[in-house]
Amino acid sequence: MIKRRTLLGVATALSFSAFSGPVLADDYPTGPITMLVGYGAGGQTDLIARATANVISKQLGQPINVINKPGVGGAVAARELTHANPDGYTILFNSNALINLAPFVMKNADFKPDEFDYAGMITAFQLALAAPKDAPFNNLAEYVEWAKKNPGSSYAALAPEARLYINEIMKKTGIQVNIVPVQSGSEMINALLGGQVMLAYSGGIHYRYPDQLKSIAATTTFRHPSAPTVPTIEEQGFQLGMDTRTTLILPKGTPKAVIDKLSAALKACQTDADFKKVADAADIPIQYLDAAEATKEMTASTAKNKAIMKAAGIVSK
Amino acid sequence: MDIITGFADVLTPKILMWIAIGVTIGYLVGALPGLGKATGVAVSIPLTFYLHPVAALGMLIGIAKGSAAGSAVSAILINTPGEPASAPTALDGYPLARQGKAQKALKMGLYASVIGDFLSTLVLIFLAAPLASYALLIGPVELCAILLFSLTFIGGLSGRSLIKGLIAAAFGVFFATVGIEPETFVPRLTFGLLELDDGIKLVPMAIGMLAVAEMIAQAGNLKALDAEFEQIKDGTAHEDRVILRSEWRRCIPVILRGTFIGSVVGILPGLGASVGSFLSYAATRKASKTPEKFGTGMIEGIAAAESADNAVVPSSLVPLFALGIPGSVIAAILIAAFILHGLTPGPLMFKQQPRLVADVYAAMLCASLIMLIIGSVGQRLFAMVIRVPLRLIIPGVLLLCSIGAYLETSTVFSIWVMLFFTGLGLLSRKLDFSFVTFLIGFVIGPNLELSFRQSIQILNHDPANLIHHPIAMAFGFLTLGTIWWVGRGHSPVVAAPTSATRNSREEEA
Repeated sequence: MIKRRTLLGVATALSFSAFSGPVLADDYPTGPITMLVGYGAGGQTDLIARATANVISKQLGQPINVINKPGVGGAVAARELTHANPDGYTILFNSNALINLAPFVMKNADFKPDEFDYAGMITAFQLALAAPKDAPFNNLAEYVEWAKKNPGSSYAALAPEARLYINEIMKKTGIQVNIVPVQSGSEMINALLGGQVMLAYSGGIHYRYPDQLKSIAATTTFRHPSAPTVPTIEEQGFQLGMDTRTTLILPKGTPKAVIDKLSAALKACQTDADFKKVADAADIPIQYLDAAEATKEMTASTAKNKAIMKAAGIVSK
Repeated sequence: MDIITGFADVLTPKILMWIAIGVTIGYLVGALPGLGKATGVAVSIPLTFYLHPVAALGMLIGIAKGSAAGSAVSAILINTPGEPASAPTALDGYPLARQGKAQKALKMGLYASVIGDFLSTLVLIFLAAPLASYALLIGPVELCAILLFSLTFIGGLSGRSLIKGLIAAAFGVFFATVGIEPETFVPRLTFGLLELDDGIKLVPMAIGMLAVAEMIAQAGNLKALDAEFEQIKDGTAHEDRVILRSEWRRCIPVILRGTFIGSVVGILPGLGASVGSFLSYAATRKASKTPEKFGTGMIEGIAAAESADNAVVPSSLVPLFALGIPGSVIAAILIAAFILHGLTPGPLMFKQQPRLVADVYAAMLCASLIMLIIGSVGQRLFAMVIRVPLRLIIPGVLLLCSIGAYLETSTVFSIWVMLFFTGLGLLSRKLDFSFVTFLIGFVIGPNLELSFRQSIQILNHDPANLIHHPIAMAFGFLTLGTIWWVGRGHSPVVAAPTSATRNSREEEA
């Protein structure tokens, strides 16, 4: 064990001394850690990030400064991360949509999975197509039937992938739906509750309104813990399942010992009472993946999403 | 719901202390240019994890309320609104301060804030349920019509020349179009800069346009400034330090109207405190017998802007409490805090947690009164600024401005944005274009565009479907009426100097 650490230390010192001086991965962390968050303060992912920072700070015994660098779904923060020293003292907490989805729709966000290291993933987004509770349909087939009888109905779209879903469904089934652009989760909820739209793409926030809203299809590859009886979009015949998860992202070349320490600290979120409170309050399922699993998930989901985007004819703008 | 039980729970030293801490933090955050209530509340949420729910929620609401009041202080004393919503406060507050009536202006700002806040909290408590059902009637189509009307009406703030006012407003809308287009997600006018994809941020823009430009305009005229400073220090005459009975008589209706406008604007989703305070200011000037005096130190201007600004905060919680829908940025941030502390906003909370709801209401009312105390003490301290020569204040304010702009995104890019708009603000002062209408165009522009695009889709691309939206039709006719009225020569605009500097220079000339 000691030998391995020494070797790692030497290897690290060799590979990075040119840029940042020797990194003593063994002692990590000896000072405060900066955690970048790619969203403004107060949002759902920001709250999860702050709860995560509390847990990691407790585990590693060093303070963590959470810095909000909002912009383009985290792209501004991620670009800053690529300039940071790979020593574990600058880390980014963000949805991995930034890497496995955004590059296929935005020219400005041309990140690739192998440009970063990953310490792990902690929560999954319960992405879904949501509808008012009293809507006369419960799954996609029934929705398509309903939309055929009611042409000119509306669908609220929050992001490029939201348009992709309804466009693919329209292409396959020939229904005509108006796409209403919305710019925030609360605006989307407003449109559903106010009856302005009959269907919307939701990041999971609709599970907070169990008496007024329901899921029609989970657009992830897994069924949602908050609605285990609702089939995924793939089970309903559209091969469009795309997963996004909150991920602890590190600059490329971070020493393995540092990654492992962060990964172990992240794992503690699973059992931390405060963290659970924050996640439960927002209906966000905790699904921990360690560093190796996270890297694998990153590569696999990016490849899958790329294929879906390509098939749909989406070009990045 | 029993508000008496609520008060019994809240009136303990511990909970009152946390509310007071919240109000104090908010007051300071509000007074510092650039730091807004959203930042203050968001950063404080983790601090409340270990507090009793009532103490925690009281503290967070205290921050939101306190900052809406605190932003008037810097607007009046150094012509630098702590939050964009207090920009109209500076229009008359700063001239008053230069006339040695800073204490009077600050007091009016505080009292209008507290009254607006208190009454709006009562609206929330007693009318949340009945009003909320109306909030749901306001969809994108209605909102689009309301915004169009607001823009036309506030166009009345456009300075001497209506044409120049319209040009300034159009520039505001133009700069608001920078960023990713909401429907096709194509970046507009970003020149490939990643930082511009999300658009130009309001805070650095407003700081540059209002505060930095003002400081530079003043620094460019130091001699006159020093002379002015020699003449007018902190007024010592009693009538300059208190609000006279005659002034109260003039201001009470103004405050009530401001509270009404602010409460309505708060309940409607997507408008925000800036729209409230500008609308109230415009309405007050229009109703005044001497509209030409606005901008030279009319105490009614402060009363109008501050009462509406503060009334927006509690009433924006109406849709949140009654329906579970956040109607404003601050409500969206508070929703997370409420859920964390075991109170899920929505109609059910009145049945499931009646005691906690009553406690929160009591805490909100207490926060209003605590704001009065903290504000009175705070402004006495802050008012000492007026005794410092302005040439010594300018560097400090510039530093605060830069920090405020930087904090918005934690990037130096924001400071460049601030400097860019400083240049624009200076030009607009020199050429007599109203930066106020610019700001309004900038704030309303994106909402107007989005709700217009949404309306097209919801109306199924057919204007005839407007028939199903009577509220939107009514506001459409109101807009046409306003245009017709202005077109007939009843310009709601009368001479309105846009900056106190120019104003004092004119008086010298």
